[in-house]
This record gives sequence, structure tokens and C-alpha cells, in this order.
Amino acid sequence: MSSTVEKVRNIGISAHIDSGKTTLTERILFYTKRIHAIHDVKGKDGVGATMDSMELEKERGITIASAATFCEWQDHEINIIDTPGHVDFTIEVERSLRVLDGAVLVLCSVGGVQSQSITVDMQMKRYKVPCIAFINKCDRSGADPSRVIAQLHSKLGHNAVAMQMPIGLEMDFRGVIDLLSMKAFYFEGENGEQVRSDEIPAELVAAARSKREEMIDAASLFSDELTEAILEEGSISDALIIDAVRKGTLLRKFTPVFLGSAYKNKGVQPLLDAVNRYLPCPADVENTALDLDHEETPVVLSSDSSLPIVALAFKLEDGTYGQLTYVRVYQGTLAKGAVIVNTRTGKKTKVGRVVRMHADQMEDIEAANAGYIGALFGIECASGDTFVSPGLNLTMTSMYVPKPVISLAIFPKDNKSQINMSKALNRFTKEDPTFRTHVDDETNETIIEGMGELHLEIYVERMKREYATDVETGKPRVAYRETITQRAEFNYTHKKQTGGSGQYGRVAGYMEPITEGEEDFVFDNQVRGGSIPTQYIAACEKGFHQCLAKGPKMEFPVTGVKIVINDGASHAVDSSDMAFQAAARGAFREGYAKAKAVIHEPIMKVVVETPTEFQGAVMGLLNQRRGMIVGAQDEGVMTVVEAQVPLAEMFGFSTVLRSSTQGKAQFTMEFALYRQVPQSIAEKIAEEVALRKKSAA
Amino acid sequence: MLKKELILRNPLRQLGFETEDILPAGAIGAVLSHAGVGKTALLVQLALNGMLRSQNVLHISLNDPVNKVNLWYNELFHHLAGRYERAQINGLWESVLPHRFIMTFRVESFTVPKLEERLSDLTEQGIFSPTMMIIDGLHFDESRRSDLNALKALAVKNSIHIWFTVHTHRHESSGLDGLPVSFSAVAVLFDLVLELQPEHADVHIKLLRGGGSTQVGSPLLLDPSTMLIKDPM
Repeated sequence: MSSTVEKVRNIGISAHIDSGKTTLTERILFYTKRIHAIHDVKGKDGVGATMDSMELEKERGITIASAATFCEWQDHEINIIDTPGHVDFTIEVERSLRVLDGAVLVLCSVGGVQSQSITVDMQMKRYKVPCIAFINKCDRSGADPSRVIAQLHSKLGHNAVAMQMPIGLEMDFRGVIDLLSMKAFYFEGENGEQVRSDEIPAELVAAARSKREEMIDAASLFSDELTEAILEEGSISDALIIDAVRKGTLLRKFTPVFLGSAYKNKGVQPLLDAVNRYLPCPADVENTALDLDHEETPVVLSSDSSLPIVALAFKLEDGTYGQLTYVRVYQGTLAKGAVIVNTRTGKKTKVGRVVRMHADQMEDIEAANAGYIGALFGIECASGDTFVSPGLNLTMTSMYVPKPVISLAIFPKDNKSQINMSKALNRFTKEDPTFRTHVDDETNETIIEGMGELHLEIYVERMKREYATDVETGKPRVAYRETITQRAEFNYTHKKQTGGSGQYGRVAGYMEPITEGEEDFVFDNQVRGGSIPTQYIAACEKGFHQCLAKGPKMEFPVTGVKIVINDGASHAVDSSDMAFQAAARGAFREGYAKAKAVIHEPIMKVVVETPTEFQGAVMGLLNQRRGMIVGAQDEGVMTVVEAQVPLAEMFGFSTVLRSSTQGKAQFTMEFALYRQVPQSIAEKIAEEVALRKKSAA
Repeated sequence: MLKKELILRNPLRQLGFETEDILPAGAIGAVLSHAGVGKTALLVQLALNGMLRSQNVLHISLNDPVNKVNLWYNELFHHLAGRYERAQINGLWESVLPHRFIMTFRVESFTVPKLEERLSDLTEQGIFSPTMMIIDGLHFDESRRSDLNALKALAVKNSIHIWFTVHTHRHESSGLDGLPVSFSAVAVLFDLVLELQPEHADVHIKLLRGGGSTQVGSPLLLDPSTMLIKDPM
């Protein structure tokens, strides 16, 4: 393990699906001698790329789980998190970004900045992750790196500056010109492992000079020394430029752009040099934790290995070696034998083995220092938990977790599957906070919830493969919600006198929609003069709360309701907690009936990229699905159509889209907002709910 | 209630127009200014006013991506409605959004037949039928005359009115009519021409061609901080 934190890089490789990030990672591992053979993502040899360690990922050619791996390049240690490219797994992407210090944004030289790159870039902005860009697939026909750089400016607002120039493009892509050293690089040998530097081809010298000037000009904004050197018109040292570019990159005000083709083994080694040169080391990044003893005041952590431990469990994996917990150490040293406390549960544990992962192989290490990423064995925790030394009570900032928008009933086929299914669900919910599960008390069905159709599909597949669970699935159901639209009064008396002690409680007040903030439920007690004795107020609140899980209108969860109670009555003998809970439930139903309840449905932001000739058809498809088209953007041969479409209408969209565009269009979808369901649709939903109830009974 | 109040703040009411739309169906108008003075902001306000009156607006941008255009609407609407209650504003925003459609083209690939094709894609499938169109970022000179004629014909055929932004250059001198020389060649095609002129801290909106029946009392100003038309004193 290298001794100085300055030589550590924790980086992510994020990009649009199919822009080749897993291939790039594979090549990086090859050149850094972590692996000794290259396998393709959709491999002909049946092995698959090393980073896609889950069987399912290999089959579908996509990366689901972000395996962490480490390698060494030019005396630097690089920890790489391979991040998933599909939007349904964004929680994985977000979780990885949380622990990264820098990122390589991979873009396809043909596709350019696509919708998913925009989402990923927004996430990087949220976590302030500095990045460098790599324009991949320069050998493909239609490759145009300068267009991609222009898109980085216009679509993502990056100050993207080329650090290299291609030598030839498409079929003729031969190598790159480094604008820093003003040398041409060619990649030779069977797998491009020998980098040969040469003079710049004569026909490109003038272009390279002017590009270099542009680059130095842009970099000079971040360094006074460089500006002075330019003004003095003397020679400008490489170190001066590197320093300026690094400063700009760390501020996220400069995005150096590199070129290559990972698949054709070109341009990867210079990219690794750039990672070392321009991306931050853990000490360059300020990380804060929240102090639970002091009302969550932020505490700045220092990447000093001698201080008490603060580490974040950002990923759990259940593999051949038992449960593996990936941790990022922010402060202190997580060594074998150290005692750590899980802040969430308060449980103390002794660290057994500390390992370093390389996709699905591993290596034992003595300790993980501040700034490092490692993995622990046999630690009971959920992802997102914070580990600290005893005596500290810190938590890393809680990660933003979106609520699930879709659910699915699953039925195990036999008893064995039943047992395995619960094991699998237990694991998945720990690994992925956006994946939830519960048992419906009426139908006794096991329900899984998640962020999209594909998200749930993948988990069902994993259940089958990894846990040998035979399950059937029901139809996907949309997570509708109920809410009220106007203020309504209630005054309800619960009275029962049927032998034994009676029940009595009266609750009066009003309910109204919550207009400010994002809270789902607010309870406000304004009872004066003890008309409801203080000891029963909590029972009232509980009674109201019980009504939220299933709304009186269509049994969907109720959100956005404020309850104010201001009057009531009690009886010296007959009043009890039970009686007031019942009274509150009655009061809720009474008020709710008058409050004009409506159904809200999740609306998805759908972005379709289609060849221009099909854009009319695509807009038609979206329109048929109650979609509101926000706009159509001309991108040359492609058009990007953005729309807001109710999730309920999006089932099976991928098939329909494929057939009406000859398979040439692709789309991404993510949750946008909840919006009121139109009357006609609300009636249909009511019918469905009634039918379901009938069949359940 | 909120909707009505916002409609009443029609930005160009003060220029003395009788009709709500300022431009009748089939007419075309232009807003001239140097870069960054507020052409798009002014037209987005006109568009918002139309959307509030349930008119469909097709916004065509040749410079900006859809997201950026959307941001203009978002910002200006929330500035306009800023003093009202948030829930009410959000509800109204949701209800006016379906009246807008953003389409972007690349400047070099924009042609009138292409636009017509896109427009018929929308109208024939019943997806969107505009009554107002904004074309932002088209370059004007004599060579565009045939395009403008075609667009004018398009406006008449579909009974819509079209607003254009015209980017003028500081080094360019004005002709006798106060119009930049390069633009005056095609100016006759326009039913209405407005110019935005920065003066001290304000931006003045001046009528260069066409106009209402009554004349303007106080000058119409654009507030450079919000890009909204200032309320009359």
C-alpha cells in the first residue's frame, strides 16, 4: 500500500449505457497488470469483462452492481468504481459518486452527450465530483470528437478543453497527439501495450499548435504563473500547465478532454496519466460528517490516518466469500483487530479481515488508511451505514433516496423457493435502499417495490439465478397516492355502550392540504382548556396516522394532509386510548369525504433518442400514452424527444418503440413528479381496485 | 383568480393594442436588439400570456437546447407569479404547460419545408396545434427573403401568428427608418417591429413599425434584473 495519500485516486467511470465504460475499465486493468487477458463485454469467449462479475450482467452486457477494484499506475494507487449506466439503477450510481473523489466521464464519439450522460452529470454536480472526459470509440464510423466537445459545452455546461488531437478518425484512427508534450502517441503490440512516442505528422503540426494555444489559454485562467509565462513569451514548462489544468479541474471549472478507442486499445495509457495528474487525491476533497451529539452539525473530516475512524459502508455484496461490505475510510485507519461502532445501530464490532477487491477476486491487506476503499468480512450492516471509533457519534450525510414508484406481487412456487425468496429479499433490500418489500395484509402477497420495470425485473432474475428461487410475478402496479384538495371540518363522536365498560371520545377540527414543504402528514394540536385531556392527544394522532396507509377513497396511501384538532370531549370513565384512536379514525373519514380527495400518479420524464425520420411516429406514441411532450430537439441525424408520461402508460413501451422505429430509437425514463389523475382514468383505476378486491376476497 | 390577474399583466398592453394577441392571425412580428438585451425574455412573456389564455405556443429555438428554453419559461413564470402562494403557482404552471411545445433545430439545418413537415407531424396526429409561434435565433438578411415569404404563407395557411427575434450588431448603422441596414431589406414583410434599447439601468421597448391605435403614454421598460416588463408606475 502506498504510504502517501497524495498518490491515491478514488475514481469512478460513469457514462451512458453502451459508451464502452466496462471495456475501458477492462483495458485499464490490463495495462496496470491486474489482469492478464482481455475479455469483451459481450464476449465471444463466454468469459465476459472482469468488472461485470454478476452472471446476469455478463449476459445482458450491462453493468448492474458497481464493483470496486484497485490498480497501480506510475506509482499511484487507483481505486475504480465501475458504475451502472442504466437509469433504473441510479441509486447505485449515486452511492458510488458519494465515495469518489473524481470521475472519468466516458462519451461515445458518435453518440456524444446523450440523455443518460446528462443525468450522470447532474449527479456529479450534486456531489461536486471533479471530472475529466474521455471520448471513446474514435474508430467508429461517424466519430466526431469536436462535436462531442461542443456538446459538453452546450448541453452540460462544461468548460471542456481538448488535451489531445486525433491522428485520423473512424477507420483511419491511428493514435493521438498530446498537446502538452507536443508528441504523437501510437499504441503498438498485440494489445496496444507499447506506447511509442514520435514526432507529430507534418500535416497536423499547425493544427496541433493552435489547439495547444487554445488549451494553454483556457488553463491560464487558473494560474497567474502561467499567465505571466505566456506574457513573457518564453518557453512554458509542462509542470506549469499541468498545475493550472489540475487547479481548474478540481474547481470543476475546466474539463480536460482525452480521446481514444478502448476496444481498439488506443489512448488508455495517456488517460491513466491524466487520472494521476488532474484528478484529486482524497486530501484535496473536503468531506463532512454530521455530529449526532450536536444536532447534526457538520464536522469536517481530515484524511489523517492517526485520528479516530470514520468510514462509510457504501456497498454490500453477497458472493462466494460470504457477505462483503465495501467501505470508504474518510478518517483514521481501519485495521485488522480495530473496534468499530455502527452509528445507526450502536453495535460494536471487531474488524476481522480487511481486503482489497479486484472485481471478484481479492487480496488481504493489513489496514485501509484514510482515503482508501477496502472491503470487510462478516460485518452486519446495511448499505449507507457509518462506522466510527468508539466514542464518536458521527454519521456521513444521509444519501438522497427516492421513493419507489412501481410494485409487483411475487409468488414462490414451492416451499423451498419460499425460504430462498425471503433470504434473497433480505439481501437485496440491504444492498439497495430503493428496492423495498412488504407483505400485503389483505391479500397476503409478497410485494416488491422499486424504481422501474427493469429494476424489478433484474431482481426477479437475480432471485432465480443466485438463490435458485422459482417465482411467478403478478402484473406491475403503479404507486398511486391519494390527497385532498380542500379544507374540510370534522366533528366525530365515538360512543359504544355494549356491556362492560363503554367507549367514548369526541374529536373535532379540520383537515387541509399541505401547501408548503414536502411533508406527507402534519398533525397540529390546538385543543385549549383540556376538552381532550393531554394524555389522549397522542392516541388521536395515532388514530389519524393509521388512516394514511390506506386512503378511504381507493385505498392508496394518503399524502399531503394537515390535521388540526381544536375541540373534543371525553368521559371520566369511558374514555381510553382505544376510544380516541377510534374517534380519530372516524373523524378522518368524516373530513376526508368532504375534502375532495383526488388520486395522484407518478409521472416519468421520458427521453427518446430517435433517428429524425421516426420522430413523428415517436411523438405519436408518446401522445397516445397520455404523454405531454415538452420538446423535440434536432441533433443532426437524431432527434431527442422529451416528454412527461404517466408511469402507468409506460409498460411495454420498449417493445412498441422498437417495432415502430426499426429498433433504432432508445429511451431512458426516470421519475419526475406526482400529478393528479384525470377523471376518466380515475374511474378506470377505481374499477380495477374494485375488481382486485373482489378477486382477493 | 391568479390566472386572471396574470393575464391582466399582458406585457404589451401598454403599447396600446386593442386585441389581446397584438398580432392578428397570419401576421408576423419581430423583436430587435443586440445580444443579451432580452429578446427571448420578452417573447417568452408574450408566450406565457398566450398560454395563460389557453393558446398553444410553439417555441422554435435555433440556438438553445430544449432544457434551456424550458428554463426561460420556468424562471419568468415564477418571477411573474412570485408573490402568490406556491401551491397555487405550481398548480397553474402544471395547467399551462400543455399549451407549450418546444422544438429546436440547428441553425444550419433549419429550413421552412422541414418546419412544415414537423408541424404537420404534430397537427395531423392531433398532438399539438399552435396559434402562436416563436422563432428564436434565425439570421436575417436579404438571402432569407424567400424563407420569410414562405413562413408568412405558413402563418396565413395555419392562421397562426409568428414572432421572430432579430439579432442586431453594434457596428451596424441604422437606416432612415431607424432599422439596421441589413434588416430593412426584409422589414416590409413584418407587420410589427419592436426594438429593445438599453438606456442607463433600463431597457426601453420601442415600436419601430406597425402599432396600436392609441399611442403610448409612459415608456415601456424591461427590468434587466428580472427580464420582466416593469409594471406601469
